[in-house]
Amino acid sequence: MPKCIIDGREIEFTPGETIIQVAERSGIKIPYFCWHPGLSVVAQCRMCAVEVEKMPKLQTACSTAATDGMVVNTKSARTQQNQKSVMEFLLINHPLDCPICDKSGECDLQDNSFGYGDAYSRYTEERRTYVDLDMGPVIKKNMNRCIHCTRCIRFGEEVAGIHEMVALKRGNNTEISTIDGRPLETDYAGNYADICPTGSLTVKDFRFKKRVWYLKKTPTVCEGCSKGCNMEIHQDNNEIYRCVPRENVKINKYWLCDEGRFNFQYIHDTSRSVDPSINKNGVWESTDWGSSIDAAKNALVGKKVTVLVGSDLTQEEAQLLQEFLPKHLPAAEVYHFGTPGVLSAQDDAPADRILKRKSKTANLHGLEKLGFKPFEKLSAGTQSVLVVRGGKAHLPELKNVEMVGIGVFLKDHAQHFSVILPGAAFAEKSGTVVNFEGQEQKFKRAILPPGQCKPLSEILMMWMNRKTASGAA
Amino acid sequence: MSNQLLSKSFYERMAKLEPRYPTKQALLLPALHAAQDELGWLSPEVLEEVGEYIGIHPAQVREVASFYTMYNLKPVGKYHLKICTNVACCLRGADELVEHCEKKLGIQCGETTQDRKFTLMEEECLGACGTAPAMMLNNDYYENLDMTKLDKLMDSLE
Amino acid sequence: MSNHETLFIQHFSEESRPLEYYLKKMGGYTASKKAFGMSQDDVIGEVKKSNLRGRGGAGFPTGMKWGFIPKQSAKPKYLVCNADESEPGTFKDRDIMRYIPHLLIEGMVIGGYAIGSHQGYIYIRGEYTREAKLLEQAIDEAYQNGYLGKNIQGSGFDFDLTVHRGAGAYICGEETALLNSLEGKRGEPRVKPPFPAQAGAFGGPTIVNNVETLASVPFIVNQGGEWFSKLGKLEKSGGTRLFGVSGHVKKPGLYELPAGGVTLRQLIFDHCGGILGDKKLKAVIPGGSSAPVLTADEIDVVFDIEPLMKIGTMLGSAGVVVVSEDYCVVKLLTRITKFYAHESCGQCTPCREGCQWMEDILERIEHGQGREQDLAMLLDIANNINGRTLCALGDAAAGPVMSFVKKFRADFEAHIRGGKCPNA
Repeated sequence: MPKCIIDGREIEFTPGETIIQVAERSGIKIPYFCWHPGLSVVAQCRMCAVEVEKMPKLQTACSTAATDGMVVNTKSARTQQNQKSVMEFLLINHPLDCPICDKSGECDLQDNSFGYGDAYSRYTEERRTYVDLDMGPVIKKNMNRCIHCTRCIRFGEEVAGIHEMVALKRGNNTEISTIDGRPLETDYAGNYADICPTGSLTVKDFRFKKRVWYLKKTPTVCEGCSKGCNMEIHQDNNEIYRCVPRENVKINKYWLCDEGRFNFQYIHDTSRSVDPSINKNGVWESTDWGSSIDAAKNALVGKKVTVLVGSDLTQEEAQLLQEFLPKHLPAAEVYHFGTPGVLSAQDDAPADRILKRKSKTANLHGLEKLGFKPFEKLSAGTQSVLVVRGGKAHLPELKNVEMVGIGVFLKDHAQHFSVILPGAAFAEKSGTVVNFEGQEQKFKRAILPPGQCKPLSEILMMWMNRKTASGAA
Repeated sequence: MSNQLLSKSFYERMAKLEPRYPTKQALLLPALHAAQDELGWLSPEVLEEVGEYIGIHPAQVREVASFYTMYNLKPVGKYHLKICTNVACCLRGADELVEHCEKKLGIQCGETTQDRKFTLMEEECLGACGTAPAMMLNNDYYENLDMTKLDKLMDSLE
Repeated sequence: MSNHETLFIQHFSEESRPLEYYLKKMGGYTASKKAFGMSQDDVIGEVKKSNLRGRGGAGFPTGMKWGFIPKQSAKPKYLVCNADESEPGTFKDRDIMRYIPHLLIEGMVIGGYAIGSHQGYIYIRGEYTREAKLLEQAIDEAYQNGYLGKNIQGSGFDFDLTVHRGAGAYICGEETALLNSLEGKRGEPRVKPPFPAQAGAFGGPTIVNNVETLASVPFIVNQGGEWFSKLGKLEKSGGTRLFGVSGHVKKPGLYELPAGGVTLRQLIFDHCGGILGDKKLKAVIPGGSSAPVLTADEIDVVFDIEPLMKIGTMLGSAGVVVVSEDYCVVKLLTRITKFYAHESCGQCTPCREGCQWMEDILERIEHGQGREQDLAMLLDIANNINGRTLCALGDAAAGPVMSFVKKFRADFEAHIRGGKCPNA
């Protein structure tokens, strides 16, 4: 294996790797702006320029392939002077917006300026400014902050597949934007804010809501579809402020679709049922767990029951039901449900050319692996339906049956239910889901369940232990 | 499909060029020239139509059209004066010629006269340094200029 | 003044354009016929022997460049003529194209044959509208008479040639920016590697050559590389070349002289009749505005690539701009810097931000609002751009700033201290 020497360390590399790739995986920090592992190399920002022995000019680490015996110095005086000068150039037109900019605290420009730039400016000319047009509902543009790294342009072209983010004019007046104030068309718009190294492109939904240094981050898996994209939940005080992609080179690389990214909002919806509730003539009344479990048992025990298990539940929750149902609703027909038109795992397929899949629940493939069968229609004579749901499984329209819900429901969507036993949404529990390729992925709880919501295990325990007034189970 | 602003002869002209390039996108610069030859300037609607012809996103057309100075993205006057003020020409009095035109036409460089007859611009090196000062009037070069020649030329334009 | 052989200049008139003239008076299309009878390696060998160096500005040996094209290629190969001619002070390719277009066409046919390309493009700057039309007419003539197209002159070699107009961007003279522009994109230079010889136009191996370089090729093939090399007066520089002189000389225009055959002083004073109005010479820009400026004491240098490099400047496109004491050099440098700021493509940080910054400072200095620290800062900025950019435009912007400020410091200081131009 060929070896190169970076800052005195001998490192083996695979032919084709650039200096920056070798450095990144070896823990050697070379600052950069325009380079991104998921995008093409353009070597424009010039921040990553390092000193390479036998080459008179500094070489950009992102575009220079490592060669056998190459000696690289990333901390030499020339390298450091270049870093200072690039930072100076970038800051001459950049507004001092940090106090009001969302990106503060996770801003590459801030970090690199602090780490590699000078603490003063010599610039006394007039700063270049732009007039911003809107870019649609997802992304807010602030062109004055842009450092022209062109990551967004490359993302649009190479990943999103829509060449809608473009550079207009040239030279110092270059503006990067959609044209004529057109909204971004792509369903992957949120990624623009992730890759932007400054606060030039930010997510409107998150704007001004929370300083990033207050956010606690929990790695998780998106429940939006069966792709199983890796994600991070950012929360403070049990409120989720945003979700961002987590790198997984095999599944979602560095990206999230907007559906998955903004999916979490329903978790804090004010119409979510967070107390055990009984429907009294169209009006939901909160009650205690005992009464609502009694009501649920009334509706289900001894009747002809179908149990619909949402494919948005985890493997652990599904296995609990596999243990519980034969004992406590022995005659019930049990099926999994999730996405209209995608009955079984075989019906699942890519929904676009990037990440999305047709199954809009995360664990369709996991439930089928456990042996659950897909729901098609109710058998004749069915009297009651128990729906166990994690939050996103699409409620089928069922008529003339009594409906009991365990799990996550918005009251407005569950008008025809008679009892709801509120459960935990995906962000409020730990568990395992299986994606479309059979990949098992575990995720951890990020926030506590709200109100009186309880994990499924507790709800089923209460059911098992609940005795009626007469003492009968 | 947007309204066709470009004539049949535009499409015929482009069809003749198509076999000479391996990609359709390579026709973009020739298409923009052809469209501008026909219509004098490139409005957003024309750019959209060119984009449809090439088969690319309208933003891609705009990013290319806005990069090059010869594409007029705003309407220009009947006579587009582009006077070179780069090294060789400024050494031979181009700045005075520009000033003279500004006074004569009553506009600043970069502007168009009220009657839309003249647009006056400064231009970069035109490649006529040996016969400086030089300028372009629409598509034609005028070289070895002085105030008298310039006045005569401009007065003769209807 | 022609006591030496010239190849081009005697034909620079309207009568030379038709095919008939080229055939009768210039031995037209005999060189390509001869080339078809040689192997590709032999043709390249002659060009190597000729010591022909790129006439666009970089001066890279043409034969060596052609040798970089791989013999086998999955993708088609392309020969592209760089007719973007936008370097301020340069105006030679225009005359070749409007007066002797067939010479260029034949040079491209031979070049295409040598590298194994069947598709040539002439990327001509958009402003040369008339020249582009004249080229197209000449190309039509060549097609109609079997000098272009299929089975050229019965050789079995096919070559198609298309004129592709630019649209006003100096940066498209940079070869990779030119290729992007040819492909219908913004004229932005590419990261190298890959080099055009590996992956150029439309992903295929490509050679980009200047007009004058290609126009020299028919002569080389017909009369041999050695003959061409001997026309030049220096070992590494073969042939004659076109020098364009402009500015404050009595006889501005094009002069064809042996490469390395004159000093700059001889060119200005013997050939161009000396300074306009017999004023004192102040400064000379030797090779297009990108070349660091020379003072009146520095013009005894042999006017060719290596001698100029030795004194810290360059021959570039051989576009000489002469400045007499009559013009303010501060104003001149400001205008030059404004040009580079205007033409910067905007991709890389030092050029995009630095060129505009330098222009802003120089504007202040020119208009009497300069400050004491401005000159040191200006030089520092230029230093931070030089050698640190994606393409040579950054160097081209930094070079003049560094050379003018260093060599004419007194003028700049006078503007700063006095608050106005002592020249005015």
